[in-house]
Amino acid sequence: MTVDPTYALELILNGLMLGLLYALIAVGLALIFGVLQVVNFAHGELMMLGSFTMSLVLPFFGLSYWPSLAVAVIITAVFGAAFYEFLLSRVGQGEFERSILITLGLSMVLLYGAQYIFTATPRMVDTSWGFDGIEIGAIRMTWTRIVAAGVALAAFAGLYSLLRWTQIGRAMRAVAQNRDAALMVGLKPRTVSRNAVTLAAALCGLAGGALAPIQLVQPGMGQPIIFKAFALVIIGGLGNIPGAIVTSLTLGMLESWIGGFYDIVWQEGSVFVIMIVVIILRPEGLFHRGGIRVG
Amino acid sequence: MKRASRSFVGAKAAGITLAVIALTLLPSLTSSNYFLGVAVSGLLMTVAAAALNLVYGFAGLLSFAQLGFWGVGAYCSAIIVMDAGGSFWSGVLVAAVVNALLGLAFGFPILRTRTHAFVVATITFALLCNLVARDWISVTRGPLGIPGLPAPYLLGYEFDRSARFYYIALGYAVLALCFLYALGTSRIGLTLKAIKQNEPLAQSQGVAPLPYKLAAFTVAAVITGMAGAIFAFHLRVVDPLIFDFYYMQTFLIIVIIGGTGSFWGVVIAGGAMVILPEVLRFSNDLRMVIYGAILVAAMIGMPRGVAGWMEDRRLASLRARLR
Repeated sequence: MTVDPTYALELILNGLMLGLLYALIAVGLALIFGVLQVVNFAHGELMMLGSFTMSLVLPFFGLSYWPSLAVAVIITAVFGAAFYEFLLSRVGQGEFERSILITLGLSMVLLYGAQYIFTATPRMVDTSWGFDGIEIGAIRMTWTRIVAAGVALAAFAGLYSLLRWTQIGRAMRAVAQNRDAALMVGLKPRTVSRNAVTLAAALCGLAGGALAPIQLVQPGMGQPIIFKAFALVIIGGLGNIPGAIVTSLTLGMLESWIGGFYDIVWQEGSVFVIMIVVIILRPEGLFHRGGIRVG
Repeated sequence: MKRASRSFVGAKAAGITLAVIALTLLPSLTSSNYFLGVAVSGLLMTVAAAALNLVYGFAGLLSFAQLGFWGVGAYCSAIIVMDAGGSFWSGVLVAAVVNALLGLAFGFPILRTRTHAFVVATITFALLCNLVARDWISVTRGPLGIPGLPAPYLLGYEFDRSARFYYIALGYAVLALCFLYALGTSRIGLTLKAIKQNEPLAQSQGVAPLPYKLAAFTVAAVITGMAGAIFAFHLRVVDPLIFDFYYMQTFLIIVIIGGTGSFWGVVIAGGAMVILPEVLRFSNDLRMVIYGAILVAAMIGMPRGVAGWMEDRRLASLRARLR
């Protein structure tokens, strides 16, 4: 089989963009799991919230991209903080079923609420950039896609610095490693958890906002992505942030390549099949190092 | 005390008898096909919820795979009738067998995982089923689904109207619920509860958890799958929407409101949760918003459901009296 180099490059770029986007979602999930031991079912709906905010706010700023994206991130982050304060903070350690059902309930309210208010009709989102883009050889990339990838990369750089060098980030890592010890050295689990949920929600808002001009915006858009993100986080080891990023990028590539050469069923299904194999072989996830257990 | 409990049992028996009689006479009480249709979905969803209660309430496994079994059952019966030339009854039987095999084959690896990983893995199973239904076009006919399922017939009698089809759903619901009740109150049910409450302790008493869990998982798969198979013929069409997460959310809300591990709570909640919104004429979206809000509120306020809450009240008053 010979592969046309242009086609191959297209597949790689596409896969990279997909992977970066998955990673934004998966990292948020891993962060919330690491710090709170909660699997957030409402994560996809947080992303949807970001997309809808973006699509609703854009006209107010004359379709200009950056202020709208900023508003989407801020609103989603504030929502995340409220979500923690009013709901998640009431869930105790080890009450995993309660946490799952609360987040599931919230996801239902958001998803069907959006469907009730905005109907399920997909909406096109236009920015001032329209379909402008750049051409590298035979490949055309629209600005919205390039900026989405750039924004995701910047977010990862920011997240890395935050977790590595700031007190807020160190506190999150400490709580993720050992909650009791973190409490003993004077960290407030509540504050740290709220920060983690807010941060994860902001990442969702960013992903949703950046995604809005690229694909159709509809209330159900978060569902397929969140389920994929679940699988990614399991494959990477629950609560493992580098694991989540690596598996997301790999999956983005893999999906793009499989989709380029095989039936769509393999493109959509590959991640779930891989997850089941990983669960059978390594129930703790591929990148498990000890510390946070899967279950 | 003893007399009180005996009169309670009597009241319960009377209630059940009355309910069964009322349900049997329902088609002659109303001629509305719409209402009978609601009753059919209510019965089948209650059975599916009771099966979920076996897995979640008794065995403590929060399984979203029920949605997959529900849809697989629907597809099995539809394919048997439309493509293999079998009857409705053999379709339901095949659905049971396929789901039993699927439950065993999938349950075995998945029961190795715990808590979060188990939940996510079972969701993945449901999603995989959905993908297969959508994309394996040569068998499932893809996104358009299999329309025009014929009415079931038995010995020349055709269950072609809602009033007649209703009896199939009622018969199955009664059988399945009796079976689940017997299972729940048997030694197996008690063992499952023991495993849920304290697995190491149950193990120390010589109970091997895995076979019990696997059995519960598989039995629930079969019962859910058969309910799904009948439901498909109620809808007269099967398409990938049978895997809509909405069904799973409905099963879950029934179990949560009824109280995990409480058989009668779940049965009553099943009737209430399916029929109430229809009577109140909410749109589907609004209903799901309300379900979601109820789920959150119940988890915040009454984590053990209405039945659990009442049980707590009962124990509290008992303790108060003993003091």
